[in-house]
Amino acid sequence: MNSKIKKFLKPLMIPVAAVLIALVVGAIIIALTGSNPIKAYVSLLQGNGIIPKKSYANFKGQITDFMKFIDYVTPMIFAALAVCVALRCGLFNIGVSGQMLISGFTATVLVGYSNMSAVPAKILVVLISILVGALAGSMIGFLKFKFNINEVVSTIMFNYIFQYVISFLINTYYVDPVSRQSKMISTASRLTLVDMKIGGYKIDIPLGIILALLAVVFVSILLNKTKLGYELKAVGYSRNAAYYAGINVGKSMVVAMVISGALAGLAGATLYLGYVGSIQPKVLADTGYTAIAVSLLGNNNPYGIVFSSMLISIIENGGTYMKSSAGVETEIASVITGIILIFSASNAFVKHWLAQKNANRLLKQEKKEVQ
Amino acid sequence: MENYEYIVEMRGITKRFPGIVANDDVSIQIKKGEIYALLGENGAGKSTLMSMLFGLYEPDEGEILIRGEKVKINSPNVATALNIGMVHQHFKLVSEYTIAENIVMGMEPVKKVLGFLPMVNREKANQEIQALSEKYGLAVNPTDVIQNLNVSTQQRVEILKMLYREAEILILDEPTAVLTPQEITALLEIIRGLRDSGKTIILITHKLDEIKSIADRCAILNHGKLIDVRDVATTSTKEMANLMVGREVSFSTEKQPAQFGKEVLKVDHLTIHNSDHFPVVKNASFSIHAGEIFAIAGVAGNGQVEIADCIAGLTKAHEGKIILRDEDITQSSIRDRKEKGIAYVPEDRQSFGLVLDFDINEDLVLKEYYEEKNHTIKNFLNKEKIAQDGEKQIDKFDIRSSQRGSTVVRSMSGGNQQKIIIAREFTLTSDLLILVQPTRGLDIGAIEGIRKMIIAERDKGKAVLLVSLELDEIMDIADTIAVIYGGEIQKIAPAKELTANEVGEFMMGVHKKEVGANE
Repeated sequence: MNSKIKKFLKPLMIPVAAVLIALVVGAIIIALTGSNPIKAYVSLLQGNGIIPKKSYANFKGQITDFMKFIDYVTPMIFAALAVCVALRCGLFNIGVSGQMLISGFTATVLVGYSNMSAVPAKILVVLISILVGALAGSMIGFLKFKFNINEVVSTIMFNYIFQYVISFLINTYYVDPVSRQSKMISTASRLTLVDMKIGGYKIDIPLGIILALLAVVFVSILLNKTKLGYELKAVGYSRNAAYYAGINVGKSMVVAMVISGALAGLAGATLYLGYVGSIQPKVLADTGYTAIAVSLLGNNNPYGIVFSSMLISIIENGGTYMKSSAGVETEIASVITGIILIFSASNAFVKHWLAQKNANRLLKQEKKEVQ
Repeated sequence: MENYEYIVEMRGITKRFPGIVANDDVSIQIKKGEIYALLGENGAGKSTLMSMLFGLYEPDEGEILIRGEKVKINSPNVATALNIGMVHQHFKLVSEYTIAENIVMGMEPVKKVLGFLPMVNREKANQEIQALSEKYGLAVNPTDVIQNLNVSTQQRVEILKMLYREAEILILDEPTAVLTPQEITALLEIIRGLRDSGKTIILITHKLDEIKSIADRCAILNHGKLIDVRDVATTSTKEMANLMVGREVSFSTEKQPAQFGKEVLKVDHLTIHNSDHFPVVKNASFSIHAGEIFAIAGVAGNGQVEIADCIAGLTKAHEGKIILRDEDITQSSIRDRKEKGIAYVPEDRQSFGLVLDFDINEDLVLKEYYEEKNHTIKNFLNKEKIAQDGEKQIDKFDIRSSQRGSTVVRSMSGGNQQKIIIAREFTLTSDLLILVQPTRGLDIGAIEGIRKMIIAERDKGKAVLLVSLELDEIMDIADTIAVIYGGEIQKIAPAKELTANEVGEFMMGVHKKEVGANE
């Protein structure tokens, strides 16, 4: 095989194997609950508009489901990118959820409840969420750099602070008495164009996906082609060696957290001001935590993240339809996600196992040659 | 009477690791009560062979006979039961425990408190160790704590540990690598004593003098194959060296007399504190000129590495000044000092010298990635240029790897990793080249090459600061020698005025401080 193709395929092996094994295990569990696994998996794809359902309601079609799916994926991509950038610099950003919340909330209050017209409102939402996310991230980086406070601890603490302070503010000032959530934001400020009538279908158009794909390209270039990316990776791989090379380790960590926070901010904007349109008090979005695993499953590679985000989203987002059409409990979807993540997290073990197998094969070959 | 001819016999041993045959059909026979040396370069397969005797690996092919009986040694416990003991190159001692505690660990004498509570019987342990150390002439104090001991005493503890386990076959892996000449003499005396009391000793080494002075027979390995087994008494060191390397080797590096130029580095009353605010370097002063190799000799841990780190900017000076070409750089950053002309090969190559998860090309530009020549447009790396430069350096410095520039450094051998650092630092534009243990762990061929390159750099007019634990290396290439002991510089003199023995004495702090010559 061509060595270039090999180099490209090699990192794919483990995530693909993780997914396949998880699907098989998931199928066994579904079968044990007395349902048809194939039907369940087909319904997951149908629920996301990847293959057509048997019938659709008025104004709904495959494209409706598909666009809803894309809307669901968008914040996941941003959140996973946020995890990825921090991780490349050796930092574990557990606080993506909190950074999403504070950014989404700030943009909601400043723009979502104003009567600005669509174009400036949407631009402001994006800018504010980037800025607030970056600030939240920089705080974590600063605490790490200045006082050597472990980022895992500080991000978890900040998650609590954001969660409860914002819950208090929503319940006191912005609550919608019927839904018990924050009041819906204005249509003008929403990043998803909801229920657009196109070609006889009602479709949600997530504008954020364009930004998300741009962010993927941006992060990839940043990490692989720039001086800054080189520094971040050097610090991430070996703080000692980076220090020895004269790289400002503290500054690099703050910069990584600023970028990570900004991406988390965009995840918050596309979730709270895109997919949902409101904020549920006292709840942190799962997205920020799932993103850690999504980033790992995508080999911490921005392009890999696009695929892993889509895959996890298919399972999570398709759960509802799987229940209604195949009669499999929604929770099974989370079980499958969990299994995928366990297997992709056991990356190191699988690598070791593969290396061992490879060594054995070489040995056998050599022995044969000797004989 | 024992009914076997050889106490250890290894027949047709083959051990393969992925992509390499570490031992290829090796057969050795060792007689009871002899000192048997295993000679070979790094990677020749000596340690692998002995690891199989000690049960750390199992051979893929071949068999092992101990006292004439076929055995399967699949763990060190089996080896211990067969009275085989091994002292590894890196000691395996618990530094917070006392000597006696370390030795008895795992087979402690037990006393029953209140008739049923089993407790370690420390007094008995201490007595036993005292008796053992007297019996074999290995003077130690059983109640001393390991971390307060010097390396040679720690080594004695390791040997006692084997003897306590009633080892009859003692394997010593590079035992003299960390010792001073005086300590080496003492150790060799101990080894002789052990043999005379009936122990069988297997000595892994690449130092020919030692083999010549104590070994009875010597097996020479090269690239995993057994080349020859010789009687030491009738074989010259030159012959052994040629067999080991597989070609003619020269023992000393040729060099022209040094041409000293202007003063490049001046270290003025430098005091350095470690992280516990304890002074590790006290009041050191010296200067290095262009075209001079200035070597700091000393036993490990006497402050020499701290001096190198401090000049390169990795640690701060507590007092004193560092002056590079008339400019005070005491407060400058690491990057500044590099810009002003300091190249640095650090002691810890894996955690400081290299980013192990980078590929070769990336690591080769670790010090220069930010410079304009490596960029297409501002802030964007010019990967093509970096790869091209990488190709050149890989060829020039003979860096061996599976995928050339894109090989991940972590997957490479230690020697080739070191070559990457050497390539990078020697290529930097610099006036001062700081080298800490530049040839540690490399094989003779590579060592020869690097020493030649160091001299070539000197001849180009660079000032070289060499910190080495290998006295041979210092005697071989240094123009000026400073000896450090306990953080204080004991002696500075031109290399030709000192003998290895004198340097060794200063290294032990035997002489009172006398700083002479070029101060």
